[in-house]
Amino acid sequence: MAGVTEADFLLAQRGTTQELGGWVVAAIFDRAGVLGFALADGTVRIGDITAEAHDGAILSACADAKGGFLTGGDDGRLVHTAPDGTVTEVAKFGSKWVDHVAAHESGIRAASVGKLAHVLDGTGKVLKSLPHPSSVGGLAFDAKGKRLAASHYGGASLWFVAAKEDKPKVLEWKGSHHAIAFSPDGTHVVTAMQETALHGWRLADGQHMRMSGYPGKTHSIAFTSRGRWLATSGAESVVLWPFFGGGPMGKAPTELAGGDEVLCSAVACHPQHEVVAAGFGDGLVLMAEVASGKVVPVAPPRGSAITSLAWNATGTRLAFGTEAGLAGFVDLSKR
Amino acid sequence: MADTPVPVTVLTGYLGAGKTTLLNRILSENHGKKFAVVINEFGELGVDNDLVVDADEEVFEMNNGCICCTVRGDLIRIIGGLMKRKGKFDGIIVETTGLADPAPVAQTFFADEDVKRATKLDAIVTVVDAKHLFARLDDSKEAQEQIAFADIIVLNKIDLVTPEEADAVERRIRGINPYAEIRRATKSDVPIEAVIGRDAFNLERILERDPEFLSGEDDHTHDDAVMSLSFEASRPLDPEKFNAWISDLLQKKGQDLLRTKGILSYANDDRRFAFQAVHMIADGDYIGNWKDGDPRRSKIVFIGRDLNRPQLRRGFEACQVPA
Repeated sequence: MAGVTEADFLLAQRGTTQELGGWVVAAIFDRAGVLGFALADGTVRIGDITAEAHDGAILSACADAKGGFLTGGDDGRLVHTAPDGTVTEVAKFGSKWVDHVAAHESGIRAASVGKLAHVLDGTGKVLKSLPHPSSVGGLAFDAKGKRLAASHYGGASLWFVAAKEDKPKVLEWKGSHHAIAFSPDGTHVVTAMQETALHGWRLADGQHMRMSGYPGKTHSIAFTSRGRWLATSGAESVVLWPFFGGGPMGKAPTELAGGDEVLCSAVACHPQHEVVAAGFGDGLVLMAEVASGKVVPVAPPRGSAITSLAWNATGTRLAFGTEAGLAGFVDLSKR
Repeated sequence: MADTPVPVTVLTGYLGAGKTTLLNRILSENHGKKFAVVINEFGELGVDNDLVVDADEEVFEMNNGCICCTVRGDLIRIIGGLMKRKGKFDGIIVETTGLADPAPVAQTFFADEDVKRATKLDAIVTVVDAKHLFARLDDSKEAQEQIAFADIIVLNKIDLVTPEEADAVERRIRGINPYAEIRRATKSDVPIEAVIGRDAFNLERILERDPEFLSGEDDHTHDDAVMSLSFEASRPLDPEKFNAWISDLLQKKGQDLLRTKGILSYANDDRRFAFQAVHMIADGDYIGNWKDGDPRRSKIVFIGRDLNRPQLRRGFEACQVPA
C-alpha cells in the first residue's frame, strides 16, 4: 500500500483498537452482534471484560449457537462465554486438546478432539462422537446445520447430524487437509491442504477441483455471500476462485490487492455484498470489491500478522486481530 | 515481530533405555528454563511438567511426489498450537515412542513452512541401553535408525556392563554413526548442557566434530544395515556439477540416505558452503570464509543403508574442477 498515509486508513476515522497482549485466535461477532476476541492466553475479551475461559490456550473459537462464544482449549475443555463474560463449561474431554469447534444457530455444536468429532446439543450433551482415520484438521456445518464436514488426512468426511446410523460420505483426496468450508448452497466442500493447495469436491457427482499455485500455506478460506467466489489466503494477493460458469475447473483465479510481496494471512467475506476483507502478514487490513477490484485500506501494517477477520451479520462492522495481540474494528455504517 | 525460533530437542530411544528418566532429569534440574513437552505414550513413569502434550503419532506422506518425505502431522498441529503461546516456554522437547523411526520427526522441521518459521531443530538425542543394545541392533531396524539419526547418544546403564563391553558397544555405535557425540551415563545422568541447546542442525556447526578415528577408515565390523561413509576432495568443486550430482543422488537414493552432511569448497569462492539433508530434504548455505592457511578440502558424509562406496566416491570426486 505504497503512498497511502496513516490517515487514509478507515481505522483512523472510524476505528477502535486495543492491545490485548495475547495471540488473537479469533475475532467473533456473536449472533446478536456482540464483538469478542478469543486469545491464546485462554481469555475471551468482550469490550472491557476479560473472561477467563480456559486454563491454557484457546485453540479455536466461534460464535456459539444461541449467542455468546464457544471456545476449545488445550485444557481439554469446550467452554461457552456469555456476552457479559460469564463462563460455563460445556464439556470436558480429558487431557487431549479441543482443536476445532463449530456451532450452528439451530442449537447444534461440534468439537473435535484428536480423531473424534463430537456433536453436542444446546445443553452440552454429547449426541454422538464421530470417528475419523486421523486427527481432524477442521470442522464446518453447512448453512442449514444439517451436515457436518470434517477434514483429515486423506480427505474429508461428511456426516448427517441427525442420522440414526452414522456413516460418513467420504471425500477422498491424497494428502493432509485442514481448513474446510461448505459453499453457502451446500453443493461444494473445499479444504486447504498441507501442500500449499486447495481441494474441492462437487458433492452431486464427486467432481474434484484442484486449486494450486500458492507460495504459502492457505489457512483461511471463505465463500462470498452467494457463493460465487471462494476467497483464500496464502498468496501475495487475495486469490478468488470462481464457483460459477463451470468454474473453478479450468478457470484462472482472480487476484485482488496484490503488489506488496507480503502473504495474505486471513480473509472474510462481506455477508451481503461481493466484498472481501483481507489481512496480511505485516498487519495490513483492506477491503476489496470483487467486481471492480477497488481496494479500500482499513488498518495500516503494524508488523504483526493478521490472524483473524470477522464481519457482523449486517456487514456494518469489520473486526480484526493479530499475532501480537492488537485487536480492533471499524464501523462502516452510514453516518 | 522479530521471531526467534524456538529450539526443539527430539528424544528417541528404545523402550526401557531411559528416555523418560532423561526427560525428567532435564525438566527437574534447576536451570530456570521452561519446556513444553510432547510425549506419545503416558507410560508408567510420569512426566513432571506444567506443559505436557499427549500426542498420537500420525505419520503423513507429503503429497509432493517424494515417497520418503513423511512428516508427523500431529507435531505440525501441536507446534501450531504451542506457537500461539510463544514466550511461555524456552524450548520444546519431543519424546518419540520406542519404536519410532526418527525421520518423520526430523523432516517435519524442514518440510512444513509454519513449523520451520517458528522453530529450529536443536538436536536429536538418542538414549541407548549399554546392556541390551547389541540385541536391539540385531533385531530392529528402528534401533539402527535411531542411532544413525542421532547428534548425541546417551549410552545409558553403563554401570551394568564391564569396561570392555562398554567399549565394544561404543565401537558398534561408531560403525553406524561416527559423528554423534557419545555420552556415557548411569540412570541418564548427563549434564543438561550435553543434550539441550546444542544447535546441532545449524549449518555453521555441521561436521564441526571430527570423528576421533577419521584415519581408521572402515570401522564397519558388524553387519548393521546402517553405516556411514565419508569422502574428501582436495580440488575445489564445481557448484553446478555438485548440485546436479547430489540432487540426482538424493532423488534416487534418498530413501536409504538417512543423513547427509557436507562442507564444500567451491571453485573461485572463498566461502565455505555447508550442506545437510535428511533423506531427500536438503538445506544448504554459505557459512563464512575459509580460514587463511586451513586446507580447503571439501568433505561429505553419508549415513545410510546399502551405500556403494566406490560409486559414491567416484560421484563426489567427479564434481571437482579439472586438475
